[in-house]
Amino acid sequence: MNHQTALMYAIGLIVLITMALMAVITGPVEINYLNSLSAHDELVENYILWQVRLPRILFAIAIGASLGLAGALTQGLFRNPLADPGLLGVSSGAAAAAAGAIVFSGSWAWVIPEDLQIWVLPGAAFCGALGICFLLDRLARWLTPGSVMGLLLTGIAINALVAAFIGLSTYLANDEQLRNLSFWTMGSLAGANWMILSLMMFVLAVVFFRSQRLTLQINALSLGEAVAAQVGINLKQLRQGIIVMVAILSACAVAWCGMIGFISLIAPHMVRAIAGPDHRQVLPLSMLLGGLLLLLADTLARTVAIPAEIPVGIFTTLLGAPFFLSLLAKQRRGLI
Amino acid sequence: MHQSNILMSLKDARAKNNSTHARANTLGPFSIDIKSNERIAILGPSGAGKSTLLQIMSGLYEYFGDIDFLSKPLRQMSVQNLSYKRAFLPQQHEAAFNLSGELIISLGRVAREHDPELIEIIRKSARAARAEHLLDRSYQTLSGGEKARVHLARIFAQLWDQDNGILLIDEPLAALDPGLQIELLLAILKFCQDRSLALVAILHDIQQAIEHFERLILIKDGKIMADLPSHPAPQRELEILYEMNLDRLTRPGRKDLLIPSGLRCSYTN
Repeated sequence: MNHQTALMYAIGLIVLITMALMAVITGPVEINYLNSLSAHDELVENYILWQVRLPRILFAIAIGASLGLAGALTQGLFRNPLADPGLLGVSSGAAAAAAGAIVFSGSWAWVIPEDLQIWVLPGAAFCGALGICFLLDRLARWLTPGSVMGLLLTGIAINALVAAFIGLSTYLANDEQLRNLSFWTMGSLAGANWMILSLMMFVLAVVFFRSQRLTLQINALSLGEAVAAQVGINLKQLRQGIIVMVAILSACAVAWCGMIGFISLIAPHMVRAIAGPDHRQVLPLSMLLGGLLLLLADTLARTVAIPAEIPVGIFTTLLGAPFFLSLLAKQRRGLI
Repeated sequence: MHQSNILMSLKDARAKNNSTHARANTLGPFSIDIKSNERIAILGPSGAGKSTLLQIMSGLYEYFGDIDFLSKPLRQMSVQNLSYKRAFLPQQHEAAFNLSGELIISLGRVAREHDPELIEIIRKSARAARAEHLLDRSYQTLSGGEKARVHLARIFAQLWDQDNGILLIDEPLAALDPGLQIELLLAILKFCQDRSLALVAILHDIQQAIEHFERLILIKDGKIMADLPSHPAPQRELEILYEMNLDRLTRPGRKDLLIPSGLRCSYTN
């Protein structure tokens, strides 16, 4: 690692920590330790800080980092800066499976022990994400080999198919299930707690360390599959490895926060523009930037309209969609 | 011919192609013995099956028949082990994400888990491919000739510390200017000679083949039409191969020149 990249990590971390500290003190209830002699109820403040705000902030960072990493891996796998688990239907696949689990599992929910219930949605989401990933890889390879446009179109078709399934689940849902379902489509970090946070951190750490061993192989993949094979890379193994990692990350993010769009597209993109295309830097920096972006979006989402809270998924999409269009414009001018 | 001298041997090798591309099934079978240190040029009209032959040799495509490489069946070698002994320079290159020249060259050695001399080897192979000044450039700012040098350096890096391997080249020079073609061809020849590597190159330039390669394999309609030494220049076979007339110019002290002089009668009628 040279000085320049070290500097980038340092700056990123400092910005992230500063933002996290600022996010801690902003919110419907002001938390201000400098002003602790005022009439605030310290117990309430402590509770909000430790049980609501801190887990949520850390959760935003962890989910953002997962999304950033998933996006960087997807773009590496498909050798395409426009690939993204959201656009290609992977996140929707996870959401559809989760929606199916919410609506159709009601009758046998009592079979599953209490301790395992927390895993039902992530499990279903994981199966959905994994299935869509493999389907996408196979279909795009078979229908439109080597074509970027074909891949994105396949993604659109899958997205539509999956959206129809979500629609069907919504149609069949009762009132309570409907409330749960609307959560998936909008995306929110309000469900954060220490339990889920530690699970997410664990998953993220495992996937991150696993992905670090593949960075050079992903670099080689960008020279094309034929060349990658000739320099000694087991393509099948690499592809499956990446797909499973993307599916795990997308599934956890979707299962616990719903669909949060565009972070996974934007973070790796900005990283490449700043730090260059080497995946040894792109993967960790995308995590850092993804965490930063989602923390920013979530802090805005819960503070711009106090005491109401805008779902963060809506917020990221509002910001992300114009960004995506500007990417297309750049590509048209041949800058990507 | 001594048995141990043979680096790679193809016996009735044929591409196993399950795609709809039925033509591949009519190519071959090919039977060729390649000795280490041998320089072989593959010549033939477009679509004759030259690239398919080279791809079978690269070990990454399924095939019928038998191919032995380093006295082992080719299909049993792992992708990784194969990459230490065989390098392939394709006709066209792609590079997503605009990697730097240095990174692309380093990817030649990506399959090595422990590679202490990597930086040194990148530098040396860049110099050998005349690409030293391209290390810091990003790929999309490179011209066609510069891209070719970077990829050549990547191939050099892949086999830098190997001997007794094979370098397969699929006419990567065809689109370059004549001066650069000769420059890079000489770099390739020197690289192979220094390491006793066999070189198998698909070429479109008859003269380059005769001048710099000792053996010619002529491919026509998916079959090996002739497999012969490049000296004396096989004028008649080349005329049949390309279905055109060649004029022979003799030059004192150098190999003969064969120059296209017109299509054969069957085509001019």
